[in-house]
Amino acid sequence: MLKLINVSAGYGPIEVLHGISIDFGTDKIVAVLGANGAGKSTLVKTISGVVKPTKGSIIFNDIDITGKDPSELAKLGIVHVPEGRHIFPNLTVKENLLMGGYFRDKKENEEMLSFVFELFPILKERENQSAGTLSGGEAQMLAIGRGLMGKPKLILLDEPSLGLAPKVISEIFHVIKKLSDEQGLNVLLVEQNAKKALDIADSAYVLVLGKVVLSGRTDELKENEEVKKLYLGGSHV
Amino acid sequence: MFNIIFRGLATGAIYSLTATGIVLILSTTNVMNFAQGDTGMLLAYVAFLFIARRVPPILTLPVVVIAGILLGLVVDRGLMSKAKKSSHLGMVMITLAFTMIFEGIVATFFGNTPLLFPPLISGDPFIIGSTVFDRQNLLTIFIALVIFVVLFFVLYRTKIGIAARSIADDEYGAYVLGVPINRITNFIWALSFGVAGIAGLVTAPRLSLEPTFMVVVQLKAFIAAVLGGMNSVMGAILGGLILGVLENFIAYYIPAIKDSFSLILVVLILLFLPNGIFGKRETRRF
Repeated sequence: MLKLINVSAGYGPIEVLHGISIDFGTDKIVAVLGANGAGKSTLVKTISGVVKPTKGSIIFNDIDITGKDPSELAKLGIVHVPEGRHIFPNLTVKENLLMGGYFRDKKENEEMLSFVFELFPILKERENQSAGTLSGGEAQMLAIGRGLMGKPKLILLDEPSLGLAPKVISEIFHVIKKLSDEQGLNVLLVEQNAKKALDIADSAYVLVLGKVVLSGRTDELKENEEVKKLYLGGSHV
Repeated sequence: MFNIIFRGLATGAIYSLTATGIVLILSTTNVMNFAQGDTGMLLAYVAFLFIARRVPPILTLPVVVIAGILLGLVVDRGLMSKAKKSSHLGMVMITLAFTMIFEGIVATFFGNTPLLFPPLISGDPFIIGSTVFDRQNLLTIFIALVIFVVLFFVLYRTKIGIAARSIADDEYGAYVLGVPINRITNFIWALSFGVAGIAGLVTAPRLSLEPTFMVVVQLKAFIAAVLGGMNSVMGAILGGLILGVLENFIAYYIPAIKDSFSLILVVLILLFLPNGIFGKRETRRF
């Protein structure tokens, strides 16, 4: 699946990620945890080709994808659902979804459209409504649905729970888990909501200031004292 | 009364055509294209070359459209997409430079003397009641309507058009989805320049052909776009038509402020309705 070998990346002269290594192995859902400014979003952007790595290499299904653009990577099956959703407010829900399948043909898009509508029935109801009128949860469902339209093998979810009510978060995480179980979709889940992320992920990496400080199976990490204290502590769950 | 409205709509149609071109480029690439009018001017001269060789004027329509599309492709691929990497202001300056380059090219080959451009369609005007329907004006309105329908079809019913709207909405969102931004801005430049050619061609017979004949149209189109909120094609169309009609009324009833009227209007809009007459900034872009 996805393998990052010693990847460094940043913006201009500022390096944000310092030699990150991540290996999906046979895991379906991998979570990346960390505080604000740890480099989580930069990591996602580096994998999706928005930010180009300065060092190291990224391997996806045995293909070296280091330095490729998002449009090439989307065709290979890596789709990035960005933080803040970035849906198109003046396009209808359906138009938004179709943009996710821009490089797929009409037949594939029709199939995927009914698949996404089945997954998120609320989007079907709002099909012809402009996306700007959606609630936060609906908008996040649209962002994920739009990503799925590209028929990804790996979907990168950047803070999907941001600003959402706990009930909606559970709903979305349930769908993510279902997609990986039933469709075999690989998910890289970047989250500040560590508890929820660890609940559905197979393994996790903890990022501090652009470095991986801790990684392992989620059941082990959940028992780790440091993780408990820093990320699962009662104060901010 | 109806005469004034009709003539105003014909003038307004020209403003609308130019304004839609400006808005299309502005909303997808964030570049204010100062050369939209002069591109039309250049293309009208291209049409003139054909007309001078006895091609019927109306048949130069496809010529200016094709020439405009090609010019748009070359300008974006050769220059704008490359300038994008360095500076955004640079791209705006390039469009300003184009006005001078285009006017310079034309002045070099055709001189500065006004040339007579034949009407695209000849014949006596239709007269219904007291209203005079000039054929050239009718044709202008008709062509503009056809173009607007085509534009809306492209923007709302084709994949590339929807993608252009998505870029106008959220370029980053489109980029991470793998929408090929460059190919789509390329398409928008071509589309806008094609429309510029039509605007030039329908304006030329009303005025006379000279290097600066589209400068006023560019200015008025800019005002029309402001009127329409700067980011909506529908706004630009309506803004142009409203401006054209208002201007004709003013010219008839208060001729003293005929020339300054549109500038007064833009000051008023920016003072009281900074987002144009069609509502909020972020609600509609196309």
